[in-house]
Amino acid sequence: MKVMNEINCENTILAMMAVMDGEEIFLSSEQTTAHLEQCENCRREFEQMQNTDGFLNKQTRRGQDADLWSAIEKRIDAQTETASLIGWKMFLPLGAFLVAFKFLEMMPERDFGLLFKFVPLVFVVVLFVFLKENPFKINTELGLEEVKI
Amino acid sequence: MDDSAAIEKCQNGDKEAFRFLVEVYQKQAVAHAVAILGNREDALDAVQEAFIDAFRAIKRFDIARRFYPWFYVLLRNRCFKMTAKKRPADNVEETEILAPQSNVSSEEALGLESALLALSVEDRELICLKYLDGLSYEELSERLEIPCGTVMSRLYYVRKQLQAKLIGKFH
Repeated sequence: MKVMNEINCENTILAMMAVMDGEEIFLSSEQTTAHLEQCENCRREFEQMQNTDGFLNKQTRRGQDADLWSAIEKRIDAQTETASLIGWKMFLPLGAFLVAFKFLEMMPERDFGLLFKFVPLVFVVVLFVFLKENPFKINTELGLEEVKI
Repeated sequence: MDDSAAIEKCQNGDKEAFRFLVEVYQKQAVAHAVAILGNREDALDAVQEAFIDAFRAIKRFDIARRFYPWFYVLLRNRCFKMTAKKRPADNVEETEILAPQSNVSSEEALGLESALLALSVEDRELICLKYLDGLSYEELSERLEIPCGTVMSRLYYVRKQLQAKLIGKFH
């Protein structure tokens, strides 16, 4: 529903279209009829709109056969399996590695060079790739949290 | 089993209950995805992905609401992502969106289908939901998450575009 006060071509056509669609509109039929009587453009436009509407109203959606369950089930099972793998236990080696790395780094009078400092980063990236999660784009693809339920 | 019972079971991890939802809504979902994507092959992929998304998100679903309008949001997200990569074919040899009608010639049906495919994805979706599903302005507004006034003005401009394309094809 749309409140319309001004009688001009645009509002009249919109009002006529809404009436054609079986919607309510706050523009009296006297107002639209009066406008249509004096405006040939609106009359012609509305007539064309009615023709298109008539043609479209004859159409129906093509029925679609589909049996997607087996494929969906496989995907759900695969995901459940991965999810059980991606439990907290997966992060144990990471923790152990980082602690060992820190100890190595703290050893006095040992300089492993600049590249050595990047080892944990490489390790974390490799782990995330293995888990098929991009550490910088986690859960941004679907944005499911934003879905209005 | 009805939808809310199935959803409740799904929320408790019952996969068979989700199967019920897939079997009830898959045909409708494929038809909607075909209307957006313009071809059945991509539509099947999109529907499959959307059901996987739904399975992941169903724990947060409010049981008081209807399943399909919620699922439709996931489905159109998936479809729009796919349309960003592909565009529908220009030559239409068979109607995928529209059902054959006894009172419409195949030439007219193909003309209309290719006119629909020439519209933008959002416009095609709107016109299909309006004419093929018969949704009211209010339902369109809810489904597409846009105000009623926007539904009305978009419908007006899409109809004009479609009209121009049909005149170009049949005259």
